[in-house]
Amino acid sequence: MEQAALTFREVSAGYKHRKVLDNVSFSVREGEFVSLIGPNGCGKSTLLKTAAALLKPLSGVVELFGRDVHRIKPALRASLLGVVPQKIESPMAFTVSQIVMNGRISSIGRWGTISSRDHDLVERSMIYTDVLGLRERYFTELSGGEQQRVALAMVLAQDPKIIMLDESISHLDINHRQEVLQILMNLNREKQMTILLVSHDLSLSASISDRFLLMDTGRLVKAGTPVEVLDPALLSTVYNCDLRVQQDPYTGYLQVSGAIDSLNRRKKLNRSVHVIAGGGSGIELYRRLLIEGYEVTTGVLNRLDSDAEAARALNIHVVLEQPFSPVGNDAIAEALQMIDKADAVILSQVPIGSGNLVNLELASEALKRGKTVLLANGIADRDYTEGKAALHLVTRLMTAGAIGWQSIQELMLQLQKHSHS
Amino acid sequence: MTMNDSEICRDNSFTGRSGINAGLRIVLFFAAVLFLLAISMLLGPSGIGIPDLQSPSGSAILSLRFSRLLMGLMTGAALSASGVVFQALLRNPLAEPYVLGVSGGAGLGATLSILGGSGLFVSFGLPVVAFIAAVLTLMLVYLIASQGSSGHPSVYSLILSGVIVSSICSSVIMFLVSTASVEGMHNVIWWMLGSLQPVSSGQQLLSAALILGALAGIWLLSPRLNALALGREMAHYQGLHADLVLVVGLLFATLLAATAVSLSGMIGFVGLIVPHVMRAFFGPDNRKLVPLAALGGGTFLVVCDALARTLLAPIEIPVGVVTALAGGPFFLIILQRRMKQAWIA
Repeated sequence: MEQAALTFREVSAGYKHRKVLDNVSFSVREGEFVSLIGPNGCGKSTLLKTAAALLKPLSGVVELFGRDVHRIKPALRASLLGVVPQKIESPMAFTVSQIVMNGRISSIGRWGTISSRDHDLVERSMIYTDVLGLRERYFTELSGGEQQRVALAMVLAQDPKIIMLDESISHLDINHRQEVLQILMNLNREKQMTILLVSHDLSLSASISDRFLLMDTGRLVKAGTPVEVLDPALLSTVYNCDLRVQQDPYTGYLQVSGAIDSLNRRKKLNRSVHVIAGGGSGIELYRRLLIEGYEVTTGVLNRLDSDAEAARALNIHVVLEQPFSPVGNDAIAEALQMIDKADAVILSQVPIGSGNLVNLELASEALKRGKTVLLANGIADRDYTEGKAALHLVTRLMTAGAIGWQSIQELMLQLQKHSHS
Repeated sequence: MTMNDSEICRDNSFTGRSGINAGLRIVLFFAAVLFLLAISMLLGPSGIGIPDLQSPSGSAILSLRFSRLLMGLMTGAALSASGVVFQALLRNPLAEPYVLGVSGGAGLGATLSILGGSGLFVSFGLPVVAFIAAVLTLMLVYLIASQGSSGHPSVYSLILSGVIVSSICSSVIMFLVSTASVEGMHNVIWWMLGSLQPVSSGQQLLSAALILGALAGIWLLSPRLNALALGREMAHYQGLHADLVLVVGLLFATLLAATAVSLSGMIGFVGLIVPHVMRAFFGPDNRKLVPLAALGGGTFLVVCDALARTLLAPIEIPVGVVTALAGGPFFLIILQRRMKQAWIA
């Protein structure tokens, strides 16, 4: 019967002021090849650290072959579980064989004696990972791929039953990645070694894993076969972007890819928006509008305004006026031209005073000319005009058909809705 | 390829041998050590030669030289081995025996003892006061560094609090010296420059026991120091009590440094540079490095002391000046050529 190699029972874990793992339960059977996936910062590394008893759970139990990992002596733990970190760094000029020998450190006797079994394991691991030829080289001189293979050799020298790899292969180029994966698969198939691989390459993991564990914000969202876990709807919510999963018609492997062409389509919107902003209230608007693919114009802005700076930097057409002077007729005329070309006019969360009240009048003019006008909510708090002129004007605009918006997300949705009509 | 057959590596030829070159290098090193120690016995203010052993003054001179040789061996070995451990544990090439405030603490203790010179301090004697002050300082540094982290201080917080506590101690020393009498000032400065004038035989014996004990402890720890070179996390994954090794190593290294300071004052340079040079020649494997660096540091200090009492005879140059002035350029050249073999270059 297959035994559970690693079991998490309702484990919560983390650091002093921050809980990272939230009530995680799962079990990995002996001989399984499991991929742990999830977005950056979801707690994958913390999970590995907790599994290796580097972090003590705040609650719950981690079991290694049925025993609480915190009650297992370090030397025994090292013979059950090996961890290949993202990167190992040796500040001193150790040779490759000295580094790999570290894998036997827990079995080295009190008097520093190294048994011939230790030597055997070290040499076998080096042969297995094909680093024997590098044994006299300095570890720090090796390429990233070679260093990763040495790290794997070092962990193999522990002769563990489970190996956990923390994104150890993510930054390798494609042939080294294939090579390390091949080694892992061989270990899994031939020695029934249990493998837990933290991976960002979902397609590659799908082709080699028995099972997937999907994590999001410290929780285990789904555990199951690649087909079960690589569900486009589920992945898209967890990774917060559009993802597609296709099956390769020839190999049957699952391919996960970002929906790049929908991004491209967005770039060719051919819609133009005029933004009325000021005092830095426009910067985030410009950025989002440009990313979504709109043509953006803005103004009237004071020449020294931070929005004017941002617009210039983003190559947005700006209608400018001299600082500390009322908005002149030329600027108003130019702004109206912009508004005429635009499909919609957006008023940012800019405070309105007597100096820029004219901008609000521009919005009013836009509405008269049949443009979609979107006004940021909460004008009452930003109205510095005498007699609440801005508030009155906005109220009038709203009744005349202008649309209010609260968040930028909401604004983008409104824009989409109205620019298609 | 499977890992089932052990035939292929039964002879351990890949990892078992350490190479003829390395062996030869060690033999040459031992020969050089013996040669240099012998020369140092012969060097005196009156030039090279064996004093007339028939005359009482001659044999007294020789026994004095021998005492200083022992003092130099003990101090140099302690400082150098301590430097090896600090550099390995803190993974920092700038680490040296005084990095965790040992010098500042011992210096402050010694200054108080020299300037105060009354009551409690005198009854113990200066070396004991310096030693106790050094150990107290280490405890303070460790306590400060442990704040905020979950019990175990990080390497960086250790180094930082060591530097800060050292600076505070130095400032207090400066203040005390500036308000002291000329004679007191002179004594403090001389003590800080370091000297291998033999201390009482009781103290020598005690120091020798402490140093040998700590060296043995460090040597037993040395395979684990190698594993810690890859960082605390990795050492933990490989089945070490990483935090325990760190604390025990720091304790032994500080014990060595404090004993050296109490023997001979603050002799700089040995604990920083000798470990680097030995590492450059023999590699960073601490099992070899700890004994070799101890021997190398001891010999280096003995030679420096012989030069100190000979070069400007009858004036004696402080040995701490010689270590840096004579040793500095020499070691710089070696390091420039061989740094890659010691540390990442």
